Amino acid sequence: MNRRNLIWIIVSFLLSVATIFYFVNYPGGKMAARLLNFETITKAYQQHILMVFVASAAAIIVSVSLGILITRPFFSKWASIVDNIVNIAQTIPSLAILALFFTYLGRGFSTAIFALWLYALLPILRNTSAGIQNISPGIIESARGMGMSNLHILTRIELPLALPVIMGGIRTSVVITVGAAALASFIGAGGLGDLIVTGLSVSRNTLVVAGGILSALLAIFLDQVLDLIEDSLRIR
Amino acid sequence: MIKIKYENVVKQFPGSDHLAVDNLNMEVHEGEICILVGPSGCGKTTSMKMTNRIFEHTSGHIYIDGVDNRDINPIELRLGIGYVIQEIGLFPHMTIADNVATVLVEKKWPKNKIHQRVEEMLNLVGLDPEIYSKRRPSGLSGGQRQRVGVARALASDPPVMLMDEPFGAVDPITRARLQNEFLRLQEQMKKTIIFVTHDIDEAIKMGDRIAVMRYGQLVQYATPDDLLSMPANDFVSSLVGGNRSIKRLNLIKVEDIDLYRPPEVAEGDSKTKVVEAVAGDKLGVALVVDDRGKLVGTVTNTDLKRKGEYVKDIYAPAHDLVGPKSTLRDTLSIMLGYGEGYALAVDQEGKPRGAVSVDDIFSAVKDNE
Repeated sequence: MNRRNLIWIIVSFLLSVATIFYFVNYPGGKMAARLLNFETITKAYQQHILMVFVASAAAIIVSVSLGILITRPFFSKWASIVDNIVNIAQTIPSLAILALFFTYLGRGFSTAIFALWLYALLPILRNTSAGIQNISPGIIESARGMGMSNLHILTRIELPLALPVIMGGIRTSVVITVGAAALASFIGAGGLGDLIVTGLSVSRNTLVVAGGILSALLAIFLDQVLDLIEDSLRIR
Repeated sequence: MIKIKYENVVKQFPGSDHLAVDNLNMEVHEGEICILVGPSGCGKTTSMKMTNRIFEHTSGHIYIDGVDNRDINPIELRLGIGYVIQEIGLFPHMTIADNVATVLVEKKWPKNKIHQRVEEMLNLVGLDPEIYSKRRPSGLSGGQRQRVGVARALASDPPVMLMDEPFGAVDPITRARLQNEFLRLQEQMKKTIIFVTHDIDEAIKMGDRIAVMRYGQLVQYATPDDLLSMPANDFVSSLVGGNRSIKRLNLIKVEDIDLYRPPEVAEGDSKTKVVEAVAGDKLGVALVVDDRGKLVGTVTNTDLKRKGEYVKDIYAPAHDLVGPKSTLRDTLSIMLGYGEGYALAVDQEGKPRGAVSVDDIFSAVKDNE
């Protein structure tokens, strides 16, 4: 157990609770109070976390499979092509991605999920393929030389050895998604971004600050939880 | 009996214009260690790795027990051949026990049988299963990792083993010890082994037959003795080196020569008794044994100057002993390292067998020539 992780997890959790209580008690005006109550904030959290969870889970499934596929010898030619495509997707600003998909898929939750998913792919894909490629060739060769089938080499050697690295990619991806999900409010997907977007449009600073602090703390909290998991998977 | 036969074997790697292995013809006899030796890039590792089809040969045939290895499913072929490679390739995420069990798991042995076998193998290579089976490779020293590598390759008792510099990445003393232990095991196991090394001393010490390779070609295939006395060409003689009589020391083991036995005293004996013993010995040394007969130290004139009534108060602890499988070359280097005129030999239980002096080495080499 890493003490530093645990401290950050507890601190970010307590700060979030304190922030919520503070802004519910001092919303700074009647209009802001309509959003700054437990019910609305809980719902914003639910939407935000659901978006992050669904987009990340889908990204993990696709990226890990794709990462495994492009590290197989017969697909190695495709590795750089796939890598390039996903790389380019990553360079597009998250707001632009949301805007683009909004045009074709319309407003709402599923558009946000799709855009966030696309955005979350790269770190996981890159870490999966790097994690597998960086395994010392001697280890793979001795596994093959002892008579392990390709499937067993993947499941018993490659994946367990690459797992900490893959987990690192998942962590990066989740943190990015928490941030990008705050923008999903622009296309009507809800989440903590609602506080910020509404606050900006009606010029209520308390709303903007509350939304900003809460989404930042959520990112720190998830980052540290995943770091803890990554650390426990590391091979010593 | 011929166990493995290479017939006109050629290997050309894709995109390369020269042959990695150029028409290799060689027969490996059952129960023998066949050493492939030569400079880097000579094709020795490639030849070894074609045996279990890690590399596929371009043309020619490799027969194992008379069956072309291309007619055997590669997985099945490999499950029947022990494999130890350079740097050992232990799986860092698995415990030592799981590493050793690898082939047994692939062969779908029942769990309790695997457990039993793993303990047996760890004991065989001198690692206490109680201490080591739950550790990971990173918690082991280089020498211990090499032992695990050997245990893992031997676990399913394959008749054939391929070893690529299995004792490469350790210090010379540990290497000599691992070599000796392996030779002791091989005496009982009688495996057919293809062993790759670039160290000609190791080749001479370990090999029943040595295949010298250069530029993908087999230059000479002979017993160590013949290789030293009748090198086929200048390349082989330069490989075995100028000082062949020193190399010959690698061929003679401590167990092959008659040993002089200095007097023995027990830890609890009085000083007066040991003074007599040392004075009456031609090397001026008495061996100290414990109550189980194990050699624990020595007493020489220097030690007699120390204060104490009993042997246990004055003796010098034994260090760097040689075993029955140690070569005279190892023995000589221990002597030189400690500046003594002799080295002490013990048997496998650590009981004293005697002392090897410089004179013994001289006469052993003379007799052997």
